[in-house]
Amino acid sequence: MSLSRRNFVIATSVAAGGSMVLSACSSGGGGDTAGSGSSAGTTKYSAVTIGTKDDSTGPAPEVAGAKKGGTIHAIGPDDFSHLDPQRIYYSWNSTVANLYVRCLTGYKIAPGGSMKLVGDLATDTGTMSDGGKTWTFTLKDGLKWEDGSELTVDDVRHGIERGFASFTTEGATYVQTWLTGSTDFRSVYKGPYGGKHLDSIVTDTAKKTITFHLKTPRGDLNWALAMHSYGAVPVKHDTKEKYDKDPVSAGPYRIKQHSVDKSMTLVRNTHWDPKTDAIRTAYPDSFTFEFGPEGLQATDRLIADSGTDQYAVMAYSGVPAERIQKVISTPDLKSRTANGLLTGLYYYAINCKRVTDLRVRQALNYAWPLEQIRKIYGGPSAGDYATTILSPDIAGRVKYDAYGKLTKPQGDTAKAKALLKEAGKLGQKIVYTYPQGASDAYDKTKVVIANALKEAGFDPVVKPVESTSYYDQIQQIDNQFDVMWFGWSPDWPAAYTLIQPLFDGTTIANGANNVSQLNVKWVNSAIKKDAAITDTVKSEAAWAALDKEIMQKEAPIIPETYQRRFYLYGTKVGGAEFDPLFSAFILYKLYAKS
Amino acid sequence: MFRFIARRTLSALLILLVISAITFVLFYVAPRDPARAACGKVCTPQTLALVRHNLGIDDPLPVQYWHWLVGVFAGRDYQGLGHCSAPCLGYSFTNHEPVLGLITDRFPTTLSLSLGSTVVFVAFGVGTGMLAAVKQGRALDKIASSASLVGSSLQIYIVGVVAMYYLSDEWHILPRPQDSAGFTQDPAAWFKGLLLPWLVLALIFTANYTRMTRSQLVETLNEDYVRTARAKGLTRRTVFFRFAWRGAMGPIVTILGLDLGYLLGGAIITEETFGLHGIGALSIKAVRDNDLPLLLGVVLVAAAAIVVANIVVDAVYALIDPRIRLA
Repeated sequence: MSLSRRNFVIATSVAAGGSMVLSACSSGGGGDTAGSGSSAGTTKYSAVTIGTKDDSTGPAPEVAGAKKGGTIHAIGPDDFSHLDPQRIYYSWNSTVANLYVRCLTGYKIAPGGSMKLVGDLATDTGTMSDGGKTWTFTLKDGLKWEDGSELTVDDVRHGIERGFASFTTEGATYVQTWLTGSTDFRSVYKGPYGGKHLDSIVTDTAKKTITFHLKTPRGDLNWALAMHSYGAVPVKHDTKEKYDKDPVSAGPYRIKQHSVDKSMTLVRNTHWDPKTDAIRTAYPDSFTFEFGPEGLQATDRLIADSGTDQYAVMAYSGVPAERIQKVISTPDLKSRTANGLLTGLYYYAINCKRVTDLRVRQALNYAWPLEQIRKIYGGPSAGDYATTILSPDIAGRVKYDAYGKLTKPQGDTAKAKALLKEAGKLGQKIVYTYPQGASDAYDKTKVVIANALKEAGFDPVVKPVESTSYYDQIQQIDNQFDVMWFGWSPDWPAAYTLIQPLFDGTTIANGANNVSQLNVKWVNSAIKKDAAITDTVKSEAAWAALDKEIMQKEAPIIPETYQRRFYLYGTKVGGAEFDPLFSAFILYKLYAKS
Repeated sequence: MFRFIARRTLSALLILLVISAITFVLFYVAPRDPARAACGKVCTPQTLALVRHNLGIDDPLPVQYWHWLVGVFAGRDYQGLGHCSAPCLGYSFTNHEPVLGLITDRFPTTLSLSLGSTVVFVAFGVGTGMLAAVKQGRALDKIASSASLVGSSLQIYIVGVVAMYYLSDEWHILPRPQDSAGFTQDPAAWFKGLLLPWLVLALIFTANYTRMTRSQLVETLNEDYVRTARAKGLTRRTVFFRFAWRGAMGPIVTILGLDLGYLLGGAIITEETFGLHGIGALSIKAVRDNDLPLLLGVVLVAAAAIVVANIVVDAVYALIDPRIRLA
């Protein structure tokens, strides 16, 4: 059994779980690919820009050759954990939420994967003023809920205010924190059910405007508001906790039937007007989701391609290692795949509280055998070597290679040994852990990792932790591990959501995501300073510089890979594109061929 | 009989109570926090405390267990979710659905899988074992014995995957397993959807029953009372079915009861292999998601299935073997 998806995604939001390791031997095609050269992967790294008002105006561009009608079937191992937008954080939920939840902003994805942030419910990506402390959005005309009632600015505000309620603990917390100035935002405001609204959100029903007054300047509020956690919810139809079972649609499809952990059916929302939507198309009459079949079963069914499976796609779980070779080496099957890099970064966190000497952390970086690890994962088609904190899909990311991992991916044990000697730490014990039972590959990588560390002069001790309690254990501040496998995905393609949660020393606590426990004054200050930059170009440059500085001056992690995933679809499915944001198919672009 | 059932029911309830308490304690022994999954990616101590409160796990362990017990016998109120009527097994941490509802939703699949495969493996296993016993030492006996040895060595997670791949996907001989159609809604679809799991499950179990039936019958056929019956001039058929077969069935019924109890408690590997939504798949989900209420629910179902099966076996045993009396 693969690693518990729910536990795995504790560390990764945009990239969902499922099969994490591939075993093919061709390469990803991104421009950042190191030492690879074949063509299994064809999706390029996303370039994310901010769209104009025209870009935000519907209808969405037509998918070439698409036609209306039919049903698309999606197969996944597990049900969606939440349908209530305020309780949605992780990507596999977002893949379906895209069909019925709408936010002020959203991502318009062009063929090939390039993205633009555009207005979804809003006419554009918002107007910033007061140095980034005030943001105003205007709603489009013609927005309706599935019952035909008008979607208003009050509904948008209601969705955001619901994020403060006691039962929406699973959702994102950025905007709540910025609006109240406190990470303990529920002590300031308890949600809309007491009859009170947040003072910091002002709506004007006549003008259809909603204005946010933030406690600190934020140049990226419009990015954060694209998260489904900030989706609109109708004031009149909010059933609080029970809304999770029966959410109301503002998108092209509405939920018609849902049998928990078994199946779900979405049909057209006849009140959705494509002219109001610059992002979504809606070709199939319905979508059905079947929950239960693991990746291997789903793959075999799609390979067999019979009956309704001809119209089926893998919902969010990719082709598993056992079948990837067959899929990418069989032309007919390969032509029925979409693939791309998962957003975010897989890495090994070095516990800076225990490994205090920078030279030891640098030696670990030099010694780490990325090539051998990726070979176990399946070779170049499993992903690209990572050398930076920021993943390639992050706006403004600048590539660098501080520890020569692209020239010596097998590890430079001689250099590592020299550094250890210089530090007087030859023979230093390093306790390494990974989630046991999550994947056979991790059990195999422990051997090559231990060998490389021994060769570099360390004394490696491998202490795997059972996967269902892995994160509970490594996220304890007094844990006894030196190096820990980890992964993290950004919440929007900006550096802040990668660097701040992972390296801001003020966030260190039990259960927090700064697993490296890096707590350095200059880093904390730089994060605070960069977060306040509202000019996009300057902000991106500052974060890119900080990325490099952290790795050079602190080396708190060992970047591993930008992982790649393959998805298979049936012969009668058209418009199959890899979603660079949620690492699955873009459901709203699919169509059923005749 | 009434006293027997009453006494065994009471002891069964006691066993279930002990099992629930042990499960409760064991769950919290593991270094895992079920609140983390509902605490979002950026989980502050305040949010974590709130989640623990929402899930009802911020109370001391004995208090939590007491609340759970009260729910089972008297029902329980859940903030925001309403009243959960007795027997309330709680709300799933991850699905936010009543556990009893989830179990009753899944049970028909497990029941269908268990009973259907039982019919097949009892018919084939006992039948083949009888033939092998009658034809002891001949070719049929040797073939049946060898085949049962192979069958009992097979594993469902291999046979199931291979059978699905070839019989369903490649050769299209049998439909792919599915459990979306219930027996009462669409009997034909129900039958077709479960045919492959029945056959594969039966393949594994048939082997045991063939071997057991054969060995029991061979032993019984050599008993004095069977020889006496033959000596009295009874027909071969009468001797076989009235004396030998009946005498041999006791141990087989015992094992059948336990197997059926095990299957009704959730055929975990079978359901996972075929992607069926039964109690077994639900139990895996409960463990994987650190979902204590759901885990307690499926553990109790599995335990109850075994306990009830044992009671039934004891009763049936007495019917088969007049020497045994229920006291």
